[in-house]
This record gives sequence, structure tokens and C-alpha cells, in this order.
Amino acid sequence: MSVSKSVSHDGVPISIFGAIRKKYFATPTDIVVSSILAVLVLWLLANVIDWAFVKAVFGAGRRDDCLAAEGACWSVIASRWRIVLFGLYPFEEQWRSGVACLIMVIVAALSCVPYFWNGKRLLGLWLSGFAVFYVLMRGGFLGLTPVFEQNWGGLALTLFIFAAVCILGMPMAIVFALLRRSELPWISRTMGLIIDTIRSLPLLTIMFTFAIVSPFVLPDWAVGDKLYRVIVGYAIFFACYQAEIIRGGIQGLPAGQEEAAKALGMGYWHRIGYIVLPQAFRNALPPTINQIVITFKETSLVTIIGFFDVMASGRAASGTAEWSFAHVEVYCFVALIFFVFVFSLSRYGAYLERRLGVGRR
Amino acid sequence: MKNIFAAILLGASLVATGAAAQEQGGRLKTVLDRGSLLCSGHNGSFLGFAEVDDQGKWKGLDIELCHALAAGLFGTSEGHLEIVPISWAQRWPALQSGDIDVVIKVSGWTQSRDTELNLQFSRPYFIGAFQAMTKTELGVKSIAELDGGTICVAAGTSTELAAATYLQSKSIKVELLTFENGDELRNAYYDGRCDAYIEWAPSLAAARLDAPDGAEAHVILPDVIDLEAEGIVVPEGDPKWLDVQNWMLSSLWFAEANGITSENVDEIRANPPSATIEKFLGVTPGYGARLGLSDDWAYNMIKEVGNFAEIYDRSLGDSSPYGLPRGINALYSNGGVFYPLIVD
Repeated sequence: MSVSKSVSHDGVPISIFGAIRKKYFATPTDIVVSSILAVLVLWLLANVIDWAFVKAVFGAGRRDDCLAAEGACWSVIASRWRIVLFGLYPFEEQWRSGVACLIMVIVAALSCVPYFWNGKRLLGLWLSGFAVFYVLMRGGFLGLTPVFEQNWGGLALTLFIFAAVCILGMPMAIVFALLRRSELPWISRTMGLIIDTIRSLPLLTIMFTFAIVSPFVLPDWAVGDKLYRVIVGYAIFFACYQAEIIRGGIQGLPAGQEEAAKALGMGYWHRIGYIVLPQAFRNALPPTINQIVITFKETSLVTIIGFFDVMASGRAASGTAEWSFAHVEVYCFVALIFFVFVFSLSRYGAYLERRLGVGRR
Repeated sequence: MKNIFAAILLGASLVATGAAAQEQGGRLKTVLDRGSLLCSGHNGSFLGFAEVDDQGKWKGLDIELCHALAAGLFGTSEGHLEIVPISWAQRWPALQSGDIDVVIKVSGWTQSRDTELNLQFSRPYFIGAFQAMTKTELGVKSIAELDGGTICVAAGTSTELAAATYLQSKSIKVELLTFENGDELRNAYYDGRCDAYIEWAPSLAAARLDAPDGAEAHVILPDVIDLEAEGIVVPEGDPKWLDVQNWMLSSLWFAEANGITSENVDEIRANPPSATIEKFLGVTPGYGARLGLSDDWAYNMIKEVGNFAEIYDRSLGDSSPYGLPRGINALYSNGGVFYPLIVD
């Protein structure tokens, strides 16, 4: 809603002041409500700025100044930011974790560029990005000291879990959705039952089951590291939700599309790959972005099964004798990290929608 | 049909757990063969017991005991100890499934844990007392002197019950104010809504540090309202592994009782004052071999982490920011409840 574009009834552009007056101060009620809200907002803003900037303490290691100050203690971030970002990753090797995060972000950014929008390029990009990430984080060759998964932490772990869940979950979701749409009732009904069962379980239960209960049931060779078990469990959960979203996208297509393709003699995979899925994804784009955003935010649940994700490492950063009074500041910092990622995700989603003309065509 | 499937699944899981529980030779052999100890850490921190320092390394009393155990088993904990981050809820299943070898995570010895959960507790290594903190300016020396005042306590916890019982039995008339949330509770006390505040002693020590008017303005009263005994937890039915835990703790107290510290241990070993200490430090054989360890295991432990007094001092005592007096956690000779077992 940009103010400068406002025009009066006869089509003549009006000034900014005029527009503001027209929108917010037209009637006496408007004037009262607008003024009260404006005062409230200004008061809140002033308080926040006062706390976060004016009376705040910046710079590392100024605990005593912090205790004396009334404002925020950003000193805790300056002193402990490495704990928040890298968790328990060995101190001397944390550059690896940092570079790995950067690579993940670059890969994600590149896959937003239209050049990479085809199956092979996207797959190649993500697989190579993942390989570099894994080699950097895990080490063990190329002269890098090995760092086991349980010492991964902070932002790198959050990004890893998120990316792995999406990459594993998306193909699974497509398969689930197609099975759910199968013409053979025993396949579609079974798939429907599985999807509905998993969707009716809380994510936490599923994570607990995969992390803690599954080693009792699985044979030794299939157990693997706890991290991968959780990722598989989370990916299945993600796939079930996403499958229903894709199914919605498919069912939103006119039936004639697929019938026409059949009439042209196209095989099943061609129909699905060239006619159905591309349109289904376009239809389902807004809920898909939504699902991905939710998935990113819910990665913080893994802290309950003992992973040192960004949330847990944030708590560890303030959880020490020197800084335990400054937990609010650390939570703000963690919130900022989440905001940066989620906001850019949703902005990208909005860009995609504009570009693909979702909702217009 | 469904029942058959369920039965097969159950059978398979029973076989799997049975195999895991037996682990020919027990947990001790598994750990020694693996060459590293998987010890419980934390998903976040627990002040004084498991914290993360600026370098991302674990510290705290529980972590020091992990180091002591690894040093005893392998000669040094360097490269032989992995601290696995574990949440509270996850510690028992993780122990049973073998994700960790031992739980050293301020875990109170309760009847249901001991019996229904198939866990076995070592002798306690820490007694968590519920105590009261009050303002220095009141000049109060004991809880009895708070008669007629107000005390803040967390709602619906065992602390609340213990506090109420204690006050009733001592016929102290005090108004109890309860709060749902820990931060709210603390702030209510700082804001002066109550004269004192009852909590687990190490948490009180941490709260005292954060006091807006400085730690000196507050004092923790010596009266003990109730106790919780924290032990090391191992799976039930593995006596050898439990023996190692008990003798690890006993050795730390034995060293303290005999004045052996990480600094003078080499001196004492070169010139042992008695045959018992000679044996304890592995100069003469026996002390380790009976447990299936090397004879100098206690020496290695003391060399790396020191005796129990040194561990306490670094994590909770005077060398730490908490400055929590040892009180009941001292050796019997200093008014505490702990004592070493006999070395023969």
C-alpha cells in the first residue's frame, strides 16, 4: 500500500499529507483511534529503543557494566556468540562450521535463481552442496580432524536438519501423493491410512520414537547415528503433510488435462512429470512455502531429544554463572536468527508466486 | 492377523533388548573395548553441574566426574571421553539403549526410578538440600527467625511440599507465596514481595549471583529443609559397572581424606606414607585389578581431576563464581555425610 500512489476521486494525485489525513483522520472517531494507537506505538517503540540501544551495554566481557545498566546486555552476545552459532563444535575448528553454514545459504540462494530450475541442475547443486557441507562438518579426510555428529551444534545443525528433511521429504511426498491417488483402491487406501495416522501423531512423539525407541527394535546395522534416525522420522512426517498439499494441487487441476495427455498417448511418467506435477506444484506453492517455513521453525524441537540446535546452544550460552541473568538478550538473538531465515524464505515464496502468477492464471 | 504381526514385532524387540542387556561381559567391557566413555551431557546447561564455557567445552561438577571416570578407565580422559548432549526426559532410555554408558546428571535417588525403571544408583555423590535465601539486612540467622514473615516458593513442586511440612513441624508461622514460573519467583523475591525464598541450594547460589543489588545483599540460611540424594545411574543387573562407579567416588573421597591432591600426588606416590596409600596409588598391585582396571587407575584420576574437594571447589565452591559452601557435602570429618570405603 504505497501512499504516494493514492489518487483522489477525480484522478488527480494528492499529497502525502492529504492521503494520511484521508486515511486516518477523516472522521472524529478516526482521529481519536488513530491518535491513541499512534501514541501507543510511539511509546512502545521508544521503550524498545531505549532498552535495546540507548541504555544497552555493547562489547565483549562487560558483565559488571551489564549488571549496573538498565538496558539490554548485548555484551553476552559479543562474548558468547560462537556458542550460539556453533554449539559444541570444537573451538579451533569452528571456521569449518561457519563455512559449511555459508555454503548451505549459498546453495539455497542459488536454487532460487531460475537457471537452476530443472531437475538435473537442482539435484546436482544440492547434492554437491550437501557433500561439501558434510565433508567440512564431519572431517576425517583431506587433513580435517573428524568431528562426530553429536558434537555438531548451533546454526549449522539447524540448517543441516532442515535441509536434509526437505531434500528427503520432498521426493517422498511426491511418491506418497501419487500412491494416494493410485487407481488401485488397496494402494490408495493403505497410503491414506498411513498418511492420516502419521499426521495425527505429534511430531515430538515421532522424533522420540525414532531417536530413542527404534534402536531397541532395529537390528544393529540399521540403527545408524541418532541424528540420521531423527532426520528420517522428521522427513516422513514432513512428507505426509506435503503429500496432502501436493494432492490438493493435483486435484485442483481440471481432469481434462490428464485425459488429454492420455489421449495423446503419453505414458504415465510423462503425464506425471510434464503435465500434472509442474501444474500441481504451481497450484500448491503457497501452502508448500508455508510447510517449509513451519519445518524450519520446528527443527528447534530436536533440543528435547538432546541435540544442540540453535535453541539449545542459545540456552547454553546464557546458562553459565557469568551470564545467567542475560537470557532475554540471548533469546532475542536467537529470534533474530530465525527471523532472518524465515522472513527471507517467505519473501522468496512471495516472489515465486508473483513470477509464476499463482492466483492469476 | 494384526495380533500375529504385533506378537512378532514384540518378540523381535524383546530379543533385541535381551541381547543389548547381556552384552557379554557387561558395560565395563563394552566401554573398554570401544576405547571411549559416553557420558551424559545436557541440552543447554544446568548451572554448576553442566555448563558450556566460552570455548564450547563442558564444565561443572557432573562433567568433572565424567572426566574422572574416563581417566580411571583409560589413564586419561583426553580422547577417551565423549559428552553426549542429553535431555532430562531422554536420559533413562538413552542409558538402556546404549547411547550413553552412564548417567551423571544430578539425578535423585527415588524409589520408582530404582525399582520400576530398572536403574541402579551408585552411592550418592551430592546431597541437594532445599534451603532458604534471605536479605542480609534482615539480620536473620535461621528460618525460625522468619516467623511472621512471607516466603516465596515454586508452586506444585516437591519444594513447596517440603517447605510446608518443615514449617508445620517446627511450628513456624509464615505465609507461603507460590509462583508458577522460576523467573517470576526470583523476581518476586528481588522485588521484596517476600522476606525469603526457598529453592534447591545450588539454584539459590546461582540466583544470589544474579541479584540486582549484588550477591552480598543476600544470604543463604544454613537450615536444611529437605534433601535429595544425587547418584550416578547405571542399568540394573551390571554389578561390575556399578562397582567401578562406587569405587571411583570412594577414591575421590579417599584422596581428600588423606590429603592427596592433583599437585602432590606424584610426590606421595614416590614416597607413600603408608601401605594403604601405596596400594591406593598402584605402587603395589591389587586396587585396580579387582575391578578389571589398571592398578594405577586411582592415581590417573587424581592426577587429572584431583580429589573431591578440588572438583567441588572448581565447580561450585570458592574457586567458582557460585561460592556455595560445602556444608553437608563435605567429608564426615568436616561435618558432612561423605566418607571413603576401606582400601584393603
